[in-house]
Amino acid sequence: MKYEQLPDFIKFLQKTYKIFAPQQKEDKIFIDELNNINKLILGNQLPEYSFKRFFVPECEKLFDYKNKKLLEEKRGNGEKTALLGLNILDLKAVLLYDLVFIDDYYYQQRRKNILIIAHDVVPEDKNNLSKMKFSGEILDNFPYDIFLTKDQSQKLKYEESKDYKIVAGSPQGKEILNKFGYGNYLDKSMRTITKPSPNEMVQKIKEVMLSNKHPEIWEELGKKCIECGKCTLVCPTCFCFRIDDQPSLEPTVGQRTRCWDSCFYQEFSEISGGFKFLKTTAQRIHYWYMHKFGRIPEEYGMTGCVGCHRCAQVCPAGIDIEEIIKKLTRQVTEVTPIPETISVKKTSQ
Amino acid sequence: MANSYNSRIAKIIEIIPQSEIIKLFRLKFTGLFASKLSFKPGQIIILSIPGIGEAPFAPCNPPDSKYLELCIRKVGRVTEKIHSLKVGDKVGIRGPYGNGWPIEKNQELRIKNQKGKKNLLIVVGGLGLIPLRTLIWGKDKFLGKDAGIQLFYGAKTPNEFLFINDFEKWRERGIDVCLTIDKECPGWDDCVGVVTTLFDKKECIKDAHAFLCGPPIMYKFVMEKLKEPNHCFDDKDIFMSLERRMHCGIGVCQHCAIGPKYTCKDGPVFSYEKLKIIEGAI
Repeated sequence: MKYEQLPDFIKFLQKTYKIFAPQQKEDKIFIDELNNINKLILGNQLPEYSFKRFFVPECEKLFDYKNKKLLEEKRGNGEKTALLGLNILDLKAVLLYDLVFIDDYYYQQRRKNILIIAHDVVPEDKNNLSKMKFSGEILDNFPYDIFLTKDQSQKLKYEESKDYKIVAGSPQGKEILNKFGYGNYLDKSMRTITKPSPNEMVQKIKEVMLSNKHPEIWEELGKKCIECGKCTLVCPTCFCFRIDDQPSLEPTVGQRTRCWDSCFYQEFSEISGGFKFLKTTAQRIHYWYMHKFGRIPEEYGMTGCVGCHRCAQVCPAGIDIEEIIKKLTRQVTEVTPIPETISVKKTSQ
Repeated sequence: MANSYNSRIAKIIEIIPQSEIIKLFRLKFTGLFASKLSFKPGQIIILSIPGIGEAPFAPCNPPDSKYLELCIRKVGRVTEKIHSLKVGDKVGIRGPYGNGWPIEKNQELRIKNQKGKKNLLIVVGGLGLIPLRTLIWGKDKFLGKDAGIQLFYGAKTPNEFLFINDFEKWRERGIDVCLTIDKECPGWDDCVGVVTTLFDKKECIKDAHAFLCGPPIMYKFVMEKLKEPNHCFDDKDIFMSLERRMHCGIGVCQHCAIGPKYTCKDGPVFSYEKLKIIEGAI
C-alpha cells in the first residue's frame, strides 16, 4: 500500500470505526481519537500511555443493581473501535490480555469490537529493554488484524514495494482490506495464536524469582519506593483490579464496578479484621516483580514485561526496572543481561 | 459466553446463632430451575450483596444437604450486612472456586497402591473449623468407613467454639474431638492453652494426613509440632487452607496470589510440600 493510500484507507475505516492512534501533542505523544491524519505518528517514540485502557479500562461497569438485585444488561453490539499504530511491544501486551481474559465476558464483548492495526517500527532502544525485533514470528504469533510493515529485511512473499507491505492477520482484517479494494496483502488470516512456550531466558528469570535467592534486592527497593503506584498505572501489563459496589444518589440503586487497583496500596492484601499479608514496602514491590517475572511466565509462558521502560520514566524515586532485571539476570548468566521477552512456540518446520 | 461475575440468588431459610458475633446461615437457591450447589469440602464461594459488595466464604453444610450453610463472623462490611438480614432475605452466590481438601486423591491412592495415609488429623483454630465441617460430617463418604479422624480445635473461650451441637454426634461416629481454650475459664475443666498444647496432652493419631486451617499465626507453630520426632509428618502429607483477600475468585485480579499461585484458583488448600518453598506463604 502506498503511503498516499493511507488517508483513503483511514477514511474508509472511519465509516465503521472510531479510530484511535498516537498523535503529537506539544512535545509528547498521546493516543487519542484520530480526526486529522496529519497528526498521526507511526514512529519509534512511545506514546506517554499505552493502549492498555482500550483493552482493560481503568473502570468499567459489571452490573447495575437495584433493590439488592444485579441486573443483567443485554449488551448491544457496541461501538467499533480501530486502534491504529500499535507497535510490537503493544502487541505483546495484547497477547497477554487475550490470554488472561480468555474467559472474561466483558473483555470478550469489548475485544470483538476492536480492530488492531499494527506497524513494525521498533521503539528506540531506551524504550525497548528486551531489544525486541520485528520478525516473521511476530507476524505469526502476536494478535493483530492488519499489520503495516516497511521492513525490507523480511523476505515476505509478495511484491517488493517501497511503501507499506500489508499483512492480514485475521478474517476481520482480511475482509476490511478486501472491501477497501486492496488485494495485495500477505494473507495470514487463518493462523491460530497459541500460548507461547517460555524460552530459556524467561524460564531462568522465573526461577530466580520463584527461588527468592536474593531478598536484599527487594529490601533495597523497599527503602527507595514511595508506593505512589504510578508504575502500575503506566505499565501495559498491570491489569489487576478490584470490584466495588458504588451506590448512586437514588436509594438501593448503583453499580458494581471493576477498576484498576495497585499492589502498592495498603488495602490490596488486607482481609477483614485488618490483617495484611503484604506488610512492608519491600514485600509489595517484590509482589509487583513476582507478578511480571514469576506468575505471568508460569501461567502464560512469557514475561509480564514488554520492556517499554515507562515505569522507570514515571518513577519519582528513580527506580529503574532495567537495573533490577540486570541484577536478577546477572545472577543467572553474564552473557545475556536482558531477557528476550518474546517467546514464541516453535511449530514444526 | 457465561458471565462469571454473575451470581445465583439464594434465600436465607434459617439463621442459627453460634456466638455473639457468629451466625450460621442456611440458604436455598431460588427460581424454577434452582438446584443445590455442589462443592467439594474446602472449596470457596463468593457471597454477593448488591450495594455492599462481595466476600469469599467456605461453605460448611454436611454433604448431601438440601441447603447451603455459611458460617459467618461479623467483622467487615459484607458480614455486618448479612448479620442484619432475616429469614426470607436474599443474597447472591457465585462459585464454587478452587480446589478443596485432597480427599479424592487420597482415596484413589489408597485403593490403588496403599500409599496414601488412612487417617486424618485436623488442626484448627478459631473459624478454621468451618472449611472442615463438611468433610467431618462426610467422613465415611470422603475418607472411607475405616478411616479415623482426630480433631484438635482451639478457641479463645468456650463460648467461641463453633458447631458445639455437632460434637456429640461426631464423637458417636468415632471422631476424636479434642478441644482447648486459650486461657483458664470458670466452668472449663478440659485442656487449656493454644491449639498446639493438644499435641502434648493427647496421643496423636497415627498413619494420618494433617489438614490445617486457622488464623495466619497458627500455621508455623502447628508445623513445629507436626515435625517433632514423635509425630514427624511428611511435608507431602500436610495440607493447609489459606486465607487471602479476593475479588474475582478466578485467578485474574491478583489480590490472592502466593508466589506463582492463586489462593482462589489453585487453593485455598495447598500442600505444605509446595508452600514451603514460597516466601511469605505462611
